Amino acid sequence: MTAAATLKPAAAGGLAIAAPLDDILPPVKPRKGLWGLVRKYPTMAIGLFLLALMVISAVFAPWLWTLDPTAIATAKRTRPPGADNWFGTDMLGRDIYSRVIYGTRVSLIVGFSVAVLASLAGLFIGLCSGFIRSVDAVVMRVMDGLMSIPPILLAIALMALTRGSVGNVIMAITIAEIPRVARLVRGVVLSVREQPYVDAAITTGTSTPMIILRHILPNTLAPLTVQATYICASAMITEAILSFIGAGTPPIIPSWGNIMADGRALWQVKPFVVFFPAIFLSVTVLAVNLVGDGLRDALDPRSAKNV
Amino acid sequence: MFAYVLRRLLATIPVIVIVALFVFSLLYIAPGDPAAVIAGDQASPEDVEKIRKSLGLDRPFVARFYEWGSRILVGDLGTSMFTGLPVTQLIAQRLEPTLSLMIVTLLLAISVAVPMGVLAAWKNGTWIDRLVMGFAVIGFSVPVFVVGYVLAYTFALELDWLPVQGYTSIKQGFWPWLENLILPAIALGFVYIALIARITRAAMLEVLSQDYIRMARAKGLGQRSILFLHALKNAAIPIVTVIGIGIALLIGGAVVTESVFAIPGLGRLTVDAILRRDYPVIQGIVLMFSFVYVLVNLLIDLLYTLLDPRIRY
Repeated sequence: MTAAATLKPAAAGGLAIAAPLDDILPPVKPRKGLWGLVRKYPTMAIGLFLLALMVISAVFAPWLWTLDPTAIATAKRTRPPGADNWFGTDMLGRDIYSRVIYGTRVSLIVGFSVAVLASLAGLFIGLCSGFIRSVDAVVMRVMDGLMSIPPILLAIALMALTRGSVGNVIMAITIAEIPRVARLVRGVVLSVREQPYVDAAITTGTSTPMIILRHILPNTLAPLTVQATYICASAMITEAILSFIGAGTPPIIPSWGNIMADGRALWQVKPFVVFFPAIFLSVTVLAVNLVGDGLRDALDPRSAKNV
Repeated sequence: MFAYVLRRLLATIPVIVIVALFVFSLLYIAPGDPAAVIAGDQASPEDVEKIRKSLGLDRPFVARFYEWGSRILVGDLGTSMFTGLPVTQLIAQRLEPTLSLMIVTLLLAISVAVPMGVLAAWKNGTWIDRLVMGFAVIGFSVPVFVVGYVLAYTFALELDWLPVQGYTSIKQGFWPWLENLILPAIALGFVYIALIARITRAAMLEVLSQDYIRMARAKGLGQRSILFLHALKNAAIPIVTVIGIGIALLIGGAVVTESVFAIPGLGRLTVDAILRRDYPVIQGIVLMFSFVYVLVNLLIDLLYTLLDPRIRY
């Protein structure tokens, strides 16, 4: 009796596989509160903490003891880190600490916007493609073609044709990321639409938009959220790469890629110009990836153990 | 088998056509006026008009695509707007360094990542496993140019073991050639190693839990022959697939790696073309790399039958 009672919630939660032995044994009392969550998902907690630091520095950049990040002071060019300029100055005498802190804004905006836009567009394309057979053949061939162009090259080609601006960088990276999302969503749609409850909904005369909204969409959300996090991470790297090679954010805007591009000519003698933005970029991307791994473990416990 | 190869080859044609069509239509879907962007801010209206003409933007899309596409079929990728040289010639000049870098990276990555993944799966749950997985997360997070600078600073500037920058042709000897490629290959391969190791581990875990592995253990086979003869063979398909897909990472990363290490390859050609707004060159490079990518993945598809004789077509 007790075993059946403990099994029931698991079955109602949608898990079709047989419950492992642990579920039948009396459950360990879960820890409650924030600390319990931190203990359960340590990587996600670390990721969220680092990400929160980055969001704070992006939002409060002007009040974090920063100077004007674009102020040129030729008298103090390429000063090493010290009391006046914590991270030193670049070849135009601009304060690298301020530039790095302001640069957080560009990275976060690009990462977040690309993740949201690519997810929405990919979700729309994937849903249409998974549900409408005639659309599927054409759209998926186009997506195959798009996926055959290495994403960074696609973004470079788009940036070569548009004026450098944060908006255009976001657009270029989004276009390169859409096909992977569309593929993912389509896969989920194709597997879910074979489920008995979808058949039942069709039989009882539920309209297609309603089926998509009620039955298909909720199933795509978990994998889509995880994918969006990884897209956010890779968009940040792509933005930095584009700016670094001169095809991204306009040089006047302080972004981590731009700061590193400025330091490129001098890095052998003044490595600190490149070093600090590199650290910030890596830590931010790491934070986002940790959140992504944590979300994957939390939302899809079955695949968590292996990948 | 022959029929299958033929069918797969034919199936690649629409993909290649779509890639070409897409790369071509970038000129039309890019927001704003590409001719004005390419001409730059100081250009006169006549200059813009001249560029519009040379890009063919003054003629109808279909006619222009037909003309452009038929020239590509005979191996003509257009002419550089800056140097006036054929794009194919520019690519040919820069091919050797990039090809060398990619081959060295590929060999290095596979020979490091696969054993790493196997080891992690074998020692599943131990600190070795966690170390490998931790490395994988870091590999995905640290961008290629950051790895490049750290390596160049530590091993070239501080320790002085390897050259900081540059490239020596293989014609001048094997070691001088390799010496210049070691650091760039590690930098470029970093994320690729993380990717392959992660997939290898997952595929191996899947295989190691199967009955015939228990059987192999029960009949007293050694750990090494179980891992590498019985398990790895059966885990090969996802590993080989990800090696193929990951080549996109190598292509994108090569552009940056060549900038960091001053290697005069296709990546440098791309960066120079961006600075000069030399669109035909960029278009040619994107097209060529995409074709290579499609062909590599086609080859890998065909390889499946060799890797797993159960797959018959």
